[in-house]
Amino acid sequence: MTSSFLLSITTFAYLACTVVYLSGTVFRAKHLLKLGTILGVATLLIQTAGICLRWVESYQMGYGHAPLSNLYESLVFAAWAIMLTYLVFEARVKQRALGVFPALFAFLAMAYASFSKDMDSRIQPLLPALKSNWLIAHVITCFLGYAAFAVSFGISVLYLYRKRSNPGNPNPGPKGAFAILPDALHLEVFNYQMILFGFLWLSVGIITGSVWANSAWGTYWSWDPKETWSLITWLIYAALLHARTMKGWKGERVAWLSMLGFGCVLFTYFGVNFLATGLHRYAR
Amino acid sequence: MSQDDGFIAKILSILASLKLTLFVFFALAGASVIGTLLPQGMGSAELESQFSPTMALIIDRLSLNNLYHSGWFRVLLLLLCMNLLACTLDRLPKTVRLLKREDDSFTAEKIARFSHSRTFVTEMKVDQAAPMLRFAVEEVFGPIRVLKDSDTFCAVSEKGRWSRLMVYGVHLSVLVVLAGAIMGSVFGFKGFMNLPEGESADEVILGGGGGHFILLPFKIRCDKFDVSFYDTGLPKDYRSDLSILEDNREVLKESIRVNDPLTYKGVTFYQASYGNMLKTAELVLTDRESGKTMSMIVPFQQVRNIPGTDDVLRISEYQESFMNFGPALGIVVGKGGPENVAGSWILVNRPDFHGNKVHNYQIRVMGTERVSYTGLQVKKDPGVVLVWVGFSLMIIGIGLTFYSSHKKIWVCVESNGERGGSLVAIAGRASRDVQGFEEKFAELSKHLEDRLPT
Repeated sequence: MTSSFLLSITTFAYLACTVVYLSGTVFRAKHLLKLGTILGVATLLIQTAGICLRWVESYQMGYGHAPLSNLYESLVFAAWAIMLTYLVFEARVKQRALGVFPALFAFLAMAYASFSKDMDSRIQPLLPALKSNWLIAHVITCFLGYAAFAVSFGISVLYLYRKRSNPGNPNPGPKGAFAILPDALHLEVFNYQMILFGFLWLSVGIITGSVWANSAWGTYWSWDPKETWSLITWLIYAALLHARTMKGWKGERVAWLSMLGFGCVLFTYFGVNFLATGLHRYAR
Repeated sequence: MSQDDGFIAKILSILASLKLTLFVFFALAGASVIGTLLPQGMGSAELESQFSPTMALIIDRLSLNNLYHSGWFRVLLLLLCMNLLACTLDRLPKTVRLLKREDDSFTAEKIARFSHSRTFVTEMKVDQAAPMLRFAVEEVFGPIRVLKDSDTFCAVSEKGRWSRLMVYGVHLSVLVVLAGAIMGSVFGFKGFMNLPEGESADEVILGGGGGHFILLPFKIRCDKFDVSFYDTGLPKDYRSDLSILEDNREVLKESIRVNDPLTYKGVTFYQASYGNMLKTAELVLTDRESGKTMSMIVPFQQVRNIPGTDDVLRISEYQESFMNFGPALGIVVGKGGPENVAGSWILVNRPDFHGNKVHNYQIRVMGTERVSYTGLQVKKDPGVVLVWVGFSLMIIGIGLTFYSSHKKIWVCVESNGERGGSLVAIAGRASRDVQGFEEKFAELSKHLEDRLPT
C-alpha cells in the first residue's frame, strides 16, 4: 500500500461523493444525502491515511518533512481541509443538503493534483527556506481559512438560487426544485458562520506567515504578490463583515461579496503563480 | 460658533462612518491589485520602453511603480487609522454606558415583547415561585441579580459583558501593528552585506539603491560559509559561521542558517545569499606591437603597474557567468597612467577569444583565486515587538469577538390577580450567535417550566 494509491482512491471517491450529494439534493432523497455523508467521512479517512503515509514515506526517503511543501501536496491538503471543515459543519448544523460544492471542490483539487501534466507529485527534499516549524502552522491555518471560504462560496450560490427562485418572498421556504435545501434565512446564517470561521483562520494564517517571513528573510511584510493577495482577500472579507452590520447589505450583497472573496482566494492560491516575481515560488 | 460645531460634528460623523470603512477597504484592495499586476520598482527608462508615453506619465505621476510607498497609499492608511479612531471615540462611550447602566425594574408585560421570551402561569404564589425561579436560573445559566423583591419579583442574570469590548481590541490591534511598522521605518534600517570568508566588515549597504550605507558599532566576520546539497542536486542547507568583533576582540561566535538568524545589539543578520568573489588573478599580457610578454598577479580592484611599461592595469569587475561564456574579468588599462583609459571583458576559460584585448595588449588569464562570500540581510527593527503585540491582540480579539457573546436573561414573577397563582415571564438577549442562544433559551425556559408546577 502506498500513499499515491490511497490518494488516487480519494480522487475518485470524492467524485462519487459529489454525484451522490447532487442526486440527493436534486431528487430530495434524504437517504442519498446520508450516503453522501458516509462516503465523505470514509473518503476523508482514506485521505488522512494517505497523507500520513506520505509523511512516513518522506522519512523513509531520508527527507522527513510534513507533506505540505509544494503545489501537489498543498492541493491534496486543500481537498482534505475543505471536506473536514464541511463535515464538521454538517454535523453541527444537522443539515446535509449543502455538500455538493465542498465535495466538488475537494474532487477538483484532487483531480488537478493527480492529472495535471506539469504537476510534480514526487516527494522532494525541503528547500532551506521551508525548513521551519512555522511551515506547518502557516499552511494549516491558511488552508482552514481557504476551506471555510470554499464552503461559504457554495452556500452563497445556493442562497442566491433560493432567493431568485422565489423573488417576491423575502424568506422563501422549501418549495419546488431543490426543496430539500434549508430556507434562505438559515442559509444566510450558515454562510455568516462559515465566513467568521474562515476570517479568523485567514488572519492567523497571514500572521503566522508574517512571523515566519521575519525569521527567514528579516521582514514581516514585503509586499510579495502572494502576501499582498492574501491581504486583498482579508480586506474583502473584512469589508463583508462590516457591511453585514449595515441593514441594506445583508443577504444578497453579502453572498456576492463572499463569492468575490473566494475569487480572491483562488487568485491568491493559483493566479499569483502566473505573476513574475515573489517569494512563494516553491508553491508552484 | 454653532456652525463650526456642526461642521466638526459632520467631519467626525463621516470619519466614523461605516461607508468610509468600506471605501478604505475596497480602495486598499484595489490599489494592492494594481501593485501586484504592475511590476514594482521600475525605473523611468524601463517605464518608457514598456508603456506608451501617456501610460508612462500616468504611472509616474501616480507613483504606480512604487505604489506601496506612494503618498496616496499612505493617505489611505491614514484614513483607515482615523476611521478606527473616530469609530472608537463615537462608540466606545456608548458601549461603556450600556455596560455600566443600572437595570431598572420591569414588568412581565415589558419583557414579553423581547424577541426571545416566554410567559407562563404557575399555581405557586409569588413569594414561593421567586426562590424556585432564582434557584433554577442559577442552576442552568448563572448568578442572578435581584432588582425588586416585594409583591413582584424582578431579576436579571448576565454573562460575558466583556465580549462587547472585544471588537475595540481588534481595532486597537490594527493601530498597534501600524504604529510598529512606522516605528520600524523611522528608527530601524534594512540592508545587506557581502562578506568574503575570513574577512570582517562593519559597512551595511542600505536597500532602495543609491549606494547609501551605515556603519555598525561593531564588526562582523565570516569565518566559514558552507552550502550542502541533496542527492538530487537541490540545495539542502546554507550555513555561515559568524563572529562578532568589538575593538577587534571576538565577543560572540555563532552559525546562522536560513530561518535561524543571529541578533546582536538589536541588529539581526539573516542568511540571504552567497556567491564567489575574485581575490587575485594571474595574467599574461602580450604587447601586440613589440611581441613582448609580461606575467603578473593582480589583486581584485587594485591598480598595478604593467612591468617594464608606464601603463597601469586594474581588474574592476568580476562575473561568475558572463553571457554564458563562463567567468570573465572586467579589466581596465590606463595608457601611460590613469588618464588614457580603455576597458573590456576578458573571458577566463577562452584564452584564444579575439576580443580578449585592451589597448595594445592581448590578455590571457592563467589562473584566478576566488573566495566564496556569504550574503547577509542585515536589519534593525525596534518596532517589531509592537507588531507582535498587535498581531497577538488581533488574533485573541477576533477569536473572542466572533465566539463570545454577551448574554442576558430577565425574569419576572407577578401575582396573577384574581385567577390565582402567579405569572412568570422570562426573556433573553445575546449580542452574537443568536441561533445558538435561541436553543439555549428554549432549554432554559423548559427547565423553568418543569421546576414550577403549572
